[in-house]
Amino acid sequence: MNLKKSLWTAVILGFTFVTIWELYVRSKGYVSELDDNKALWAIQRDKVDDLASDDVILLGSSRVHFNVQLNEWEESTGIRPLMLASDGTTPTPIFEEIVNNTNFSGTVLIGVAPVLFFSEPGKGFMWDRPTKRLKHFYDRTYAQRANHLLSIPLERSFAFLNASEEEWADDIDLKTLVGNISVGNRLPEGRPPFNNFGFVDGDRNVTMFEKTKTDTAFANGIIKVWGYGWDRRPGPVLEPVVSYYKPLIAKFKERGGNVIFLRSPSSGGNRERERNDIPRADFWDSFLEQINEPGYHFEDYDSLKHFTCPEESHLFTPDAEIFTKEIVKILLADKQIKTRNTN
Amino acid sequence: MLFNSLSFVVFLIIVLGLYYSKILNWSGKKRMLLLASYVFYGMWNPPLVVLLWISTVVDWTAGKKLATLTSPSKRKMWLLLSMVVNLGFLAFFKYGNFLLENFTNLVNTIGWDFQAKPMDIILPMGISFYTFQTMSYTIDMYKGKQERAKTFLDFALYVTFFPQLVAGPIVRAKDLITQFYEPKKATLNQFIWGLFLLTIGIFQKVVLADALLSSTSDKVFDSAKVLHGLDAWMGTLAFSGQIFFDFAGYSTCAIGIALMLGIILPDNFKYPYAAVGFSDLWRRWHISLSSWLRDYLYIPLGGNRHGITRMYVALTLTMLLGGLWHGAAWTFVIWGALHGTYLVVERLLKKLIPIKINVWNGVLLALLTYTLVNITWVFFRANDFDSAKRMISSMFYLHPDGEKILGFAEIGKVGIVILGLFMCHWLMRNTSMKAVSEKLPSWVLGVFWACLFFFICLAQGSGEQFIYFQF
Repeated sequence: MNLKKSLWTAVILGFTFVTIWELYVRSKGYVSELDDNKALWAIQRDKVDDLASDDVILLGSSRVHFNVQLNEWEESTGIRPLMLASDGTTPTPIFEEIVNNTNFSGTVLIGVAPVLFFSEPGKGFMWDRPTKRLKHFYDRTYAQRANHLLSIPLERSFAFLNASEEEWADDIDLKTLVGNISVGNRLPEGRPPFNNFGFVDGDRNVTMFEKTKTDTAFANGIIKVWGYGWDRRPGPVLEPVVSYYKPLIAKFKERGGNVIFLRSPSSGGNRERERNDIPRADFWDSFLEQINEPGYHFEDYDSLKHFTCPEESHLFTPDAEIFTKEIVKILLADKQIKTRNTN
Repeated sequence: MLFNSLSFVVFLIIVLGLYYSKILNWSGKKRMLLLASYVFYGMWNPPLVVLLWISTVVDWTAGKKLATLTSPSKRKMWLLLSMVVNLGFLAFFKYGNFLLENFTNLVNTIGWDFQAKPMDIILPMGISFYTFQTMSYTIDMYKGKQERAKTFLDFALYVTFFPQLVAGPIVRAKDLITQFYEPKKATLNQFIWGLFLLTIGIFQKVVLADALLSSTSDKVFDSAKVLHGLDAWMGTLAFSGQIFFDFAGYSTCAIGIALMLGIILPDNFKYPYAAVGFSDLWRRWHISLSSWLRDYLYIPLGGNRHGITRMYVALTLTMLLGGLWHGAAWTFVIWGALHGTYLVVERLLKKLIPIKINVWNGVLLALLTYTLVNITWVFFRANDFDSAKRMISSMFYLHPDGEKILGFAEIGKVGIVILGLFMCHWLMRNTSMKAVSEKLPSWVLGVFWACLFFFICLAQGSGEQFIYFQF
């Protein structure tokens, strides 16, 4: 046996296999994109200590993540906000960490997705997920940092590098491909397949996939996931959330910080469930009244209430860009945020 | 730093580039390897490199004294110093909280109301491995079986050599230090074979352990429910495969990387799931640890030199401590105790029922051994005794109405991988990968290698830590 020959065969064939796979997945519509994972989040979190008092941090779940577009915000104010919102999470543990562990004294905009926000503090996936991100931020090793930095150019170049921390059903890593195989019905039907519907750039600005708007079947697949979640989540709570926020807000304001709450649009069946299960008057209004802080609900503004979410929960990116410009106008008019633009 | 990570790829390219460049002489290359090893370790937690330095300095000094002193009492004192420092680190960092918790439980049992908060201690990666490795040097020096390392650099590199620093193989001084005395360079064939071993090791870890088996094992062992027997078995089988591929994968990578530098490391696994009986298993599984335990624990405890009863006691104690070496929890002690019991029972049965092993009964006995090994893995993997108890009772089908949490596809996936694993071990039990590959046409090995590479790319490992790093 000639090992040199074996090596050359392996190199040529190995790269051929990978090239064919890359071309195949691109033909199926996959594009090279960054994974919105804990490492990418930690890079943004790292910037908090360098922010000025006119800077803005965005917290919340996927609604803020999709609906507040960083480029439009920057264009309108001259300030690029720091995106720390994470999909499927409550912002509470992150806000708590910023208040207790940093000296940031600017503005924190907190997105309120009712089903995630009005949940029992310290419990459930919506609390565990941001907590894991914080843990990673504090515990990450130099090796992990180096691995992530090295992975970024590769993720930006190859569509087949698609494994995500979110574990989307349409990821194309081996684990997901094998996991998607279904035989027989030994188990009751679980959560419908949850496909990725947006991609992030380096500072975690999200763009929704075009097909979410144009492909009804694709959008309906995501809507099914919301429906599945509604049927299984514990009921909303108000008082524990109020009690959690009150001292944090007081501490934050004492050092000059400003907190704004934002309720983004939702549509269709999802909106109906929110109206029925987490009524605005009982939760959003009551929460703001008790903590005595400003809140902006899309229903209260003509410029914000006409949007339709393709999958009932998030804005299509062109709409999100308009939404961002409009909300920034309102916040500037109310002097809730500052601008560095001189004209 | 993990072998299955991008930073390691860059690290290895730089190390190999410097190692094979002409700018460094042999001493310079060794210094570079030492520095690279500290970087390799420090990329995880830089301050803990100090522990490596302390171990190195203490054992180098102890070795020097043991080589020159003739007074038995002084020699014993230096040996004790080395053992106290090394085992002290291990006791504090690895067993500190375990000892505190058991002490608290004990004094509470006798009526003394004492409460202690667990200490916030980081477990230094690979501490059990490098501690055992460096201790073997001092013990062998004391026994006069080992010559003193020629230079401090050689010794420091022996303690810290990055390919096997954090998860073995645990290499004896005589097998490694002497390789550092003369300039080493891999032949082209050694280099390519080393690269192949690195690929197959990463394949075992990233594809087989992480992508195909870990999720099933985690799902089953992290479930708080009483499970159906089939689910409990599949979860345990998945873990048996996961831990083998994870650990053997690491060892294979380590051996391959060292070979690319022209350094030979010993085999750590020889197709253990084809073992016929438990003595055979421990000659095939984590060989460097089992031979360490044999030489530095079982034999000093008397071995088989003082009659049958003493031998059984020595065997059981060795396995109990071997269990504890793996982790600071009573579940690991039970794992060791079960293996000790298996070994004792096997020796008793061998005397009572002499069996001549052939292919037919051999495969059945290997299957029986593997099944019994799986019972022990439950205690190894379970988070606590309650979940171990639940799993064992489910595996013995005491809960026919237990919850089903695995679909047919997942059961099929684990079944195929484990069947493949067992068959591969059985077919390979008396040979080696090198021997088999030498009989293959070059292109067949090349195609196989390309497939490994492709599946590694497809799996896109997320840099999961190796299980044995925590030991």
